[in-house]
Amino acid sequence: MDAIEALDLHKRFGTVVAVEGVSFQIGEGEIFGFLGPNGAGKTTTIRMLTGILKPDRGKARIMGYDVNRSPVEAKMLVGVVPEEANPYPDLSAWDNLVLVGRLYGLSRSHIEEKASRLLRLLDLYEIRERKAKNLSKGLRQKLLVAMALINDPKVLFLDEPTGGLDVLSARKIRELILELKKSGITTFLTTHNVEEAGALCDRIAIIKAGHVVELGSPEELKIKAGAYTYVSVSFDRIEEGCDLSFLEPFEYKLQGSRLLIVCSRPADVIVETVEYARARGLKILDIKISPPTLEDVFVKVAKGE
Amino acid sequence: MKFEYKHLLRSMWAICWKDIKLYYAKGPIVVTGVLFPIFLWIAFYAGKSLGLKEGLASLMTLTLFFTASSVTPIIAPWETRQRTLEMLLSRPITVTTMLMGDILASTIFGLIFTMPPVVVGLFLGVLPSNILFTVFVVLLTALGFSSLGIIFSALPTDTPADAVLLSSSIKLPLIFVSGVLVPITQLPSWILPVTLISPLTYPTDFLRTQYMGSGFLPWWVDLVATIMFTFVFTIAALRLHKKTILIRLQRR
Repeated sequence: MDAIEALDLHKRFGTVVAVEGVSFQIGEGEIFGFLGPNGAGKTTTIRMLTGILKPDRGKARIMGYDVNRSPVEAKMLVGVVPEEANPYPDLSAWDNLVLVGRLYGLSRSHIEEKASRLLRLLDLYEIRERKAKNLSKGLRQKLLVAMALINDPKVLFLDEPTGGLDVLSARKIRELILELKKSGITTFLTTHNVEEAGALCDRIAIIKAGHVVELGSPEELKIKAGAYTYVSVSFDRIEEGCDLSFLEPFEYKLQGSRLLIVCSRPADVIVETVEYARARGLKILDIKISPPTLEDVFVKVAKGE
Repeated sequence: MKFEYKHLLRSMWAICWKDIKLYYAKGPIVVTGVLFPIFLWIAFYAGKSLGLKEGLASLMTLTLFFTASSVTPIIAPWETRQRTLEMLLSRPITVTTMLMGDILASTIFGLIFTMPPVVVGLFLGVLPSNILFTVFVVLLTALGFSSLGIIFSALPTDTPADAVLLSSSIKLPLIFVSGVLVPITQLPSWILPVTLISPLTYPTDFLRTQYMGSGFLPWWVDLVATIMFTFVFTIAALRLHKKTILIRLQRR
């Protein structure tokens, strides 16, 4: 069974089309990245998947439950960290967890046991009696993550979970996401940190103007988008104006004794360059390969290239 | 089905617990809830040499009105501003459950603060003629006024002052035309049609009948009208919020 199913989701606000025909299936235990420029429809999609917004057309299912027909059953299986949400500022970290635990119908002893464990896991236990308004942004965000995990969810929605966090807090949350994957929890992650998505996610969808324009593993996306690898070869000497036409149709440039090539098949290019150097008695001092980044892919897709 | 009802009640209670902790168990709210209706009542009844019996119905209705509808108008705008509303709605609750929890907290708050005048009356031997009916109407009135407060908060704003302004501009006129401060029989005849559309008129008149033996309207008319107002306010509150909640979320 798929953990999350989006089937032809449509949502319009007045004359503005926010989401149009978004479909995907996410398997159990998968980390799924949902990327897109601002206003692309990410939050609207998450709101439809989490039952906050009703789609105009299409269906959202969580572990087989239709989110609109059985919202409570579907939400019982879900933990959510909404974008720019806050815990209750005038409640303590502990009381925020108790409130959310109660909303999931958990027993008092279960809430206490689970809240203590989560607070310890996220290094919040010592400050559990502090009101949320007196916590730093990083601590508040960690508290929101703890609140999303109080019910042992099968599916976790994280909307910008590391946005605005310091390096240590962001790393802690990333480590936690990977730990949760080991326990079979499905994570739906939206982030503006494209490299973070690339490092964490099994698959990524890129949404633009309400449409999913790319969907696949980070590696597949790089290949699909035709993202180029940068190869830099340093020689002991090389003459300017020498014939490097064997590198065509790829883009290349000679910078002193360093040859820079932008190509899609780095292995072939390196073999040909080594043969070229051997034939002319050139000594290769260094070869550097910079693989394409997901950011390159994202920029290409976002620009509609 | 059994699970659904159990979960609904538990969630409502969780929201109610949150509201009491965040909004009601606060010094200024408690002081306002106690003092404001008492001072307003004294301002109108002092010097008229009326006994507790004559004024108890008005004091009870005023207290219910000022307490049960005082905090509910600000909860939704405040939580929109604090960005806690979406966090709450992403949990396994519906908008209806959330609002019913708010109404429950407000009703409890109203009932607690209506107790002192009732208890004082009991000690002084001022008793309603039918205690069960009186409790029922007080409960309904608290529920109705709480829902009325929720209606004001349906304004899709994240500025609590907007809801408070709307609430005050409707609530205050309702008091003056309802016969709470001046008995209906002493009001000018041209104001009577307006009096009959005020939701305060009926519980006041009902309680007056209970404590003094007679009222302006038959007791059953007061009872039916109170039930109707409560029903209409509750349904209207739930429907209006369902319509405006998305506009509210989009504003953040």
